[in-house]
Amino acid sequence: MDKEEIKSRVKKVTAKVLEIDESEIPDNANFSFDLGASSMQSLLLVAGFQEEFNIEMDEEKSLEVQTVYEAVDFVSTYL
Amino acid sequence: MSNRAEIHKRNLDKVFNPKSIAVVGTNNVKGTVPYDILFNILKTEFTGVVFPVSPGEKSICSVKAYKYVVDITDPVDLAIIVFPSAVCHLALEQCGQKGIKGVVIISAGFKEVGEKGLEREKQLRQIAEKYDMSIIGPNCLGIINTDPLVNLNASFARKMPEQGNIGFLSQSGALCTAVLDYALAKHIGFSKFISFGNKVDISEIDLMYYLMEDDKTKVILLYLEEVTDGRALMQAAKDVISSGKPVLILKAGRTEAGASAAASHTGSLAGNDEIFDAAFKQAGMIRCDNIEEMFNIAIAFAYQPAPKSNKVAIITNAGGPGVLTTDAAIRDGLQLAKFSEETMREFRKSLPANANIKNPVDVVGDARADRYNIAMNGAFRENDVDAVFVILTPQSMTDIETIAREVVKVSKQHSKPVYASFMGEADVAAGIDILLRNKIPHYILPESMCRSFSRVYRFYRDLDKGPHPQHIFPDVNKEAVHSILNEAIQNNHLYLPEDEAANILKIYGFPVVPGKLATSPDEAGLIALNTGFPVVLKIMSDDIIHKSDVKGVAININSVEEARNAYTAIIDQVLQIMPEARIKGIQVSKMILSGEEVILGIKRDPSFGPIIMFGLGGLYVEIFKDVSFRVAPIDEIIADSMIRQIKSYKILDGIRGKAPRDIAAIRECLMRLSQLALDCPQIKELDINPLIVLEEFKGSFVADARILLSTPTAL
Repeated sequence: MDKEEIKSRVKKVTAKVLEIDESEIPDNANFSFDLGASSMQSLLLVAGFQEEFNIEMDEEKSLEVQTVYEAVDFVSTYL
Repeated sequence: MSNRAEIHKRNLDKVFNPKSIAVVGTNNVKGTVPYDILFNILKTEFTGVVFPVSPGEKSICSVKAYKYVVDITDPVDLAIIVFPSAVCHLALEQCGQKGIKGVVIISAGFKEVGEKGLEREKQLRQIAEKYDMSIIGPNCLGIINTDPLVNLNASFARKMPEQGNIGFLSQSGALCTAVLDYALAKHIGFSKFISFGNKVDISEIDLMYYLMEDDKTKVILLYLEEVTDGRALMQAAKDVISSGKPVLILKAGRTEAGASAAASHTGSLAGNDEIFDAAFKQAGMIRCDNIEEMFNIAIAFAYQPAPKSNKVAIITNAGGPGVLTTDAAIRDGLQLAKFSEETMREFRKSLPANANIKNPVDVVGDARADRYNIAMNGAFRENDVDAVFVILTPQSMTDIETIAREVVKVSKQHSKPVYASFMGEADVAAGIDILLRNKIPHYILPESMCRSFSRVYRFYRDLDKGPHPQHIFPDVNKEAVHSILNEAIQNNHLYLPEDEAANILKIYGFPVVPGKLATSPDEAGLIALNTGFPVVLKIMSDDIIHKSDVKGVAININSVEEARNAYTAIIDQVLQIMPEARIKGIQVSKMILSGEEVILGIKRDPSFGPIIMFGLGGLYVEIFKDVSFRVAPIDEIIADSMIRQIKSYKILDGIRGKAPRDIAAIRECLMRLSQLALDCPQIKELDINPLIVLEEFKGSFVADARILLSTPTAL
């Protein structure tokens, strides 16, 4: 899976969890600072990525992921 | 004042009296810190404007929300950041761009979580410096200003405290919530309530200076878990106190960790808590053991005028509590005022025949408000009385609430302080409530009342004493000592035994017992002969700290032959016990036959710098622990107080016909030691044990000493 596709699917999950439009998510968006993800929503994002990509991520490390860019890189290490 | 301190001074007014606040990172999830902070600001009717900043929300609590703080077009004085720690730096950067000067970071996840958190704090500091901002926190409860012109509760405390004149500073946020709850129940009001958390930028010192200049604050309470800069804290406390505001401190962590591994007696005895105790006392702070004691004393300062003296009148409706109060008062250094004939005549006329008309006045068990009125007014009018203690026990005929109202009414008619103890709990509760609402300091136990009054009295008594000039001894050679110490450190020779320590002390003007190092039995005999008998022989080795433990001492040597034999015997015994010891020789010194042995010492504390110790000396110093500490520099008055503080002072002062010892000689040695400690940061620990103190005017002699130097990296 190439990075463009991963990015598109990361944005899709993010939009669903944070209840915003995908078009409102820039590539460099920070989940908390730019999109307003609360700590609960951050957990939901991790769960959403795992389900979307059918992977099991390291929970501690996954919560360190701050931006869409970082999420794409992080998910790609599991694929 | 450092540049940052000046910036904080400028910015703190905006922090506590903002016209507009941005709550950065708030959200719409009720019951979370980001939501509650905003909700509390709105609920307490903050007098300025509030801007929620929340990237995902259009509005919060019906107030329009902004995506970024830089989107706000109006000026913002204060930002409260509640974002997760990982993005606080992004929010702070934008606050800087927006020109916001005051910031409170509530979020946790900084140095308390380890290395990553420390890095985040470093980042915050850099941004604050870049934009000349001032940060309170992170990892804190927030701040409260009860001034009705501001009405600010920017915290996640459950309730706003009452308005008052106590400024509360706390390193622990959780403790703040408990204190607020405690204070609400007792109607204790605050001027400012500040949780400063990890103190990444603004410290308790900046806040103490801010409260010193705050008209609404009369007394400052400080809860500390760690002291970062002990000397700066002492200076801040001295400055605040000299402005007339008391500083009460509750310091957590009264443990002895760290003291056990020390190489000297001073190092072993000067545990962390002893140093804190000495430093706080020296700076004039009032150290409290617990929250209850802290507020007992705080309300006394906050509610009542300063007493002119320690002479009190006690008014009670029961004999037993009157006696208990009298005992406690005397124990705490108070005096019972003497009533004039005129006052007693008035009491005799107006009170029942079985009343006690002398101090303590017993208005008898069936007393109602009128008798308390008579007794209080009489006591207030009495010239010898400077404070009135009102005691009440709830008897079947006691009209508690009426008496409480009478106490309030009469106290308002006079300018002398009034304290009360309505003893009990359930029956007296309504009366206590009346007293506390009307700012009469109340204590369940008369002992707490006496202790609190005593602390207040002593604070005002000592207020005008001020600092004393420091005595600098000119007859010392600092450069020579530096040269010796630096060379020793270069050679990694970090433990200086008696002969080398004595040499340094001699250069600093200490009276050292005459003596010399011998390296053979014959030389020992010759030195003994030249020194004059009797003499003492002591092993000298870098490897031996406690000479008696290895049988390395021989005393009362009275001839050349004895000196030769003692030399050989000591070497044999020491090598049997410690075969690997590197022996330099044996010190032969004049034996001082009469005198009291005391110990003097230096220990270098990472936070407070050089600490000076004094105590009863000899072998058992670590068992009896009869010692006192002060932070250098010490002047003559402080040196004297150190000497008088130890329990064994009576021995030095002369007991059972023995002549008093030369206290002036000890004072001089303590001041010289203070100068040596300040001049030579290379000295990590130093013991003079013993200093033998002769009779008054006859001086003293250093009979043994040792010095431990710092490693080059520690300097």
